Amino acid sequence: MRFYLVDRILELQPPKRIVAVKSLSLAEEYLADHFPAYPVLPGVMMLEALVQAAAWLVRVQTDFEKSLVLLREAQNVRYGNFVRPGGQLVMEVEAIEIGPDASRFKAVGQCDGQQAVQAKLTLEHFNIGDEDPLRANLDAGLRTLLRERFRLVGGPQALAARVPS
Amino acid sequence: MRWIWIDKFIAFEHGRRAISIKNVSLAEEHVHDHFPGYPIHPPTLMIEGMAQTGGVLVGEAFDFREKVVLAKVTRAKFYCHVVPGDQIRLEANVIGEIRLEGALIEGRITRNGDLVAEIQMMFAHLDQSRAPMELGEENFVFTEDFIRMLRMRQLNHLEPPSEKHGS
Amino acid sequence: MALSRDEIMEKVREALVDALGVDEDEVIPTARIGPDLGAESIDYLDIVFRLEKAFNIKIPRGDLFPDNILTSEEFVQNKKLTEKGLAELKVRMPYADLSKFEQNPNVDDIADLFTVNMIVGYVEAKLASAAA
Repeated sequence: MRFYLVDRILELQPPKRIVAVKSLSLAEEYLADHFPAYPVLPGVMMLEALVQAAAWLVRVQTDFEKSLVLLREAQNVRYGNFVRPGGQLVMEVEAIEIGPDASRFKAVGQCDGQQAVQAKLTLEHFNIGDEDPLRANLDAGLRTLLRERFRLVGGPQALAARVPS
Repeated sequence: MRWIWIDKFIAFEHGRRAISIKNVSLAEEHVHDHFPGYPIHPPTLMIEGMAQTGGVLVGEAFDFREKVVLAKVTRAKFYCHVVPGDQIRLEANVIGEIRLEGALIEGRITRNGDLVAEIQMMFAHLDQSRAPMELGEENFVFTEDFIRMLRMRQLNHLEPPSEKHGS
Repeated sequence: MALSRDEIMEKVREALVDALGVDEDEVIPTARIGPDLGAESIDYLDIVFRLEKAFNIKIPRGDLFPDNILTSEEFVQNKKLTEKGLAELKVRMPYADLSKFEQNPNVDDIADLFTVNMIVGYVEAKLASAAA
């Protein structure tokens, strides 16, 4: 299982908004435990998907300046309908503010037009070198990997398709 | 990757408090994506660890007969990063009492006494909340497998949490 | 220790800010918990637990938000509260302002009654009877 919770970016309007999708497949092994005979996307995976979608918006807006983007605080995370295998979580994330070291968002995830999750997020952004100077050399490589992953999820196409504001 | 984000319970007090621990290891798959070369245990999976700790606390109150699910994370705040080689301690406390309608849990995660996270979350029972789909009789939340792995039938043999556990 | 209405309002505001993630200045006396502050079903229970803790009171199920009235045939017909239903509501929520609701007691509008003021009134009454 890979810890990638965004499969595709559908819309990208930096600095304000991103729309992305997480598709759920029975092939994802952890579903066997959640739950046996009733597989559904775990609530915290929905939250992680929202975090990763917001993180893409941060990276694009800051030109991948900080290699690490992590959840610092989540508020008011409420769950609605389940997402079942074969279903898709469509996430709309609106940025309240994106600063150099931190950012805040309001995010919603829907499945089949029904609300599955909503949350307020605060993310922190930093470089490996900020936390561990001995490993600062890793930042460049990680940045390259993340730019590659951005291509993997259709980021450049979404950027190209954006409506001029 | 299994969907179990705690390793064992170390203290338990029926209806009030539970403490579990989790080892974070390089052997786990997910840390190698988060992030390549610089593994950090994801905050969201720590929320799940707390949800499992609190979920067992709430579930045990009804003898694991109800399907207890996470309904809301009121707040989750993270103060430091957890990495492979760390062991985190997850403490869940019931605010008020556990009701049939649901429960509010206040959680604290520490590592060697350092505060890692503060999490408040609410649980509800599936039949009474959001399941438009047909559900059978069996409790797929607390399966025999899960109960055995976490030794949940021995919970009440554990010491109740004392002040000493606050390290 | 007797709390003033202002002190009660302050603690109620804190509980609502924590439970609902709204800003302090959104929590005005006339704000409705559901339509204005965005509370959903699980949030009502969150609010109850926080109020119990803040004021050291016990709030039995349906005491603060009497949703169980809505499931009784005696009290609800054609999605409106009957005479009996309205009377029951008055008994259950003596501190709520029912004047507008009475004119057209649609079950769907019951959320309009759950205001910040209503909660403050409930807590005041609870504390007063505990002290008595």
